Amino acid sequence: MSVLAEFPPAGVTGFRTSPLRGMERSLTLSSRLKDLRERYMSAVAFVCLTAGLLAAVVLLVRQQQITSRLRRRNAALEEMTRVRDEELGYLVRVRVPALADFFQGKPVEVPGPLNPAFAGTSTEQGIRAILGMFAEYAETAKDRADQAAKVTLKAMMRAVQSLTNEQQLTISTMQERHDDPDVLGGLMKIDHMNAQLGRRAQATSVLCGSWPGQQRSAAALVDVVRGATSRIRDYLRVQVQTQANLAVVSRVVEPVVLTVAELLDNAARHSQPNTMVEVNFRQTHNGVAIVIDDAGVAMDAEELQRAERLLSGRESTDINRLGDPPQVGFAVVGVLAARYGFRVSVDSRSPYGGVRAVVFLPSELLTRVDTEPAPVHAQSLPVHTQSRPMRAEPRPVHAAPTPPIPPTPALSSEWEERPVTEWEERPVTEREERPLTANGLPKRRRVTPTGEQPVPSAGAPPSTRPADEIASGMGAWQRGSRAGRVPVSPESEGNVAE
Amino acid sequence: MSPNRRERALVRPHVVTGGRARPTRNIFDLVTLVMAARSEVTGLNPEKRRVMELCRGGALSVVEVAGHLGLPVSVTKVLLSDLVDSGHIVTRVAGPVDTGPASTLLLQEVLDGLRARL
Repeated sequence: MSVLAEFPPAGVTGFRTSPLRGMERSLTLSSRLKDLRERYMSAVAFVCLTAGLLAAVVLLVRQQQITSRLRRRNAALEEMTRVRDEELGYLVRVRVPALADFFQGKPVEVPGPLNPAFAGTSTEQGIRAILGMFAEYAETAKDRADQAAKVTLKAMMRAVQSLTNEQQLTISTMQERHDDPDVLGGLMKIDHMNAQLGRRAQATSVLCGSWPGQQRSAAALVDVVRGATSRIRDYLRVQVQTQANLAVVSRVVEPVVLTVAELLDNAARHSQPNTMVEVNFRQTHNGVAIVIDDAGVAMDAEELQRAERLLSGRESTDINRLGDPPQVGFAVVGVLAARYGFRVSVDSRSPYGGVRAVVFLPSELLTRVDTEPAPVHAQSLPVHTQSRPMRAEPRPVHAAPTPPIPPTPALSSEWEERPVTEWEERPVTEREERPLTANGLPKRRRVTPTGEQPVPSAGAPPSTRPADEIASGMGAWQRGSRAGRVPVSPESEGNVAE
Repeated sequence: MSPNRRERALVRPHVVTGGRARPTRNIFDLVTLVMAARSEVTGLNPEKRRVMELCRGGALSVVEVAGHLGLPVSVTKVLLSDLVDSGHIVTRVAGPVDTGPASTLLLQEVLDGLRARL
């Protein structure tokens, strides 16, 4: 307290001064005191103010921080809401339609969230769960609809197939019964259309998971391809170039026929009407390849990819997704190939600029076929030499014994060298065990000459021959001449084809 | 060609004849005899080859050829007339031309045969 120290205590100076001086002194003192108080007060005020200010600054700073933090948070929340809105919009506009498209079979990929930062949020997880459930339900519904459609279609096609089969039998019977070329021409047209109809029905039912139907016995590869040719519209444009003495085992005849028919139809339909469709066989180490070349338009990469996917037969075919007009060919081929164990491929390597389709049949689906069936010798009539009425001899009815019939002049020199005795020496002993028809007439059958049988005595007079032998010969002759006068009946008695 | 009548023929007649129903020549009846005239079979379709194989051993009637091929007679006639056109086969008319002692003898044989049977 330096201010207070300047004033001496009142007792020391006060009693010895005059009253005026004392007053003056006290005035000075009081002013001094006042001054002192003022100073003190101002000091206190200053201190208070400073503290207040300090506090205000601190508070302000803190507030600032809180505000900025809030602002940031607010901004973040706003951003999140915006992102969420955006994602929702994207979900509605893009993701759900993409999923719907995916279920309609379009080759689209269902996209993820628009903003990668959104991926881990709980909202996105919720959206994913919803999409998953949606997909599951859609899949189930689609499967159920597909199954229902397939079952219905299969049942309908079965009816159509059996009708076409019956119709074909009727047509075949009529073809045998009618000799008039006009009728035959009409029947052929009907037969052709019926075969195409049957193929369509067959293809559809195969797509619906049915079997191709129709059991067949093993057939030569050439016949398989020609059988397939029978069932397509432009059958005249198909050329089978090479021969192969292989046959297809009975189990896969019909599937392979159907496969080749679909490929041929595809080839013919996608090429100019004046071009040919060529079929070749190429034998390989472990099977045979049927190569079908057309001179039409080549397939582009996308089509090839689609074809490859269908031909692999791995994915189940959706009959609701075949397009309009339905493109069943490759789908059917794929199903058959996968089911029966052969391979089919298509590419644009055809030498004629079109498409080359290759059906590869592995060895286990093939069997050997004797391309050279034993020649049917002319004497299929079980009659004696003398009474052979309809053979190479122009005037056959000779009662008198005749020497072996000389070769006819019309035959080439090659045929002249044929040993005539070969067909003279047929096994006559077979006569007795020959099967008889219902009317007691011997059945005709192909006779294989053995050459070990006793030669019938060519010179024996006719009267010495056993009566039943004569009867069988005469009966055959009679039937032959009668058959020549009347139109042929479908089951001409006595003809046993073997 | 399967001879089994129950089984539908795999190769249909329109493919066998190339869609033609009318023979190029009208010379065939059921018992007309056909014979191979040439041995080479190149360029022929499988049915025609088969006809050539059948006729190699001598003469066969049209109806027999049809039976062996498993084809309708009318279709066989189309094939055969093609083969006649291309010179692969020749035809002969069957049946007796004259009546004489031979046929009397034949009729006697027929009578004997029938008596023996009945």
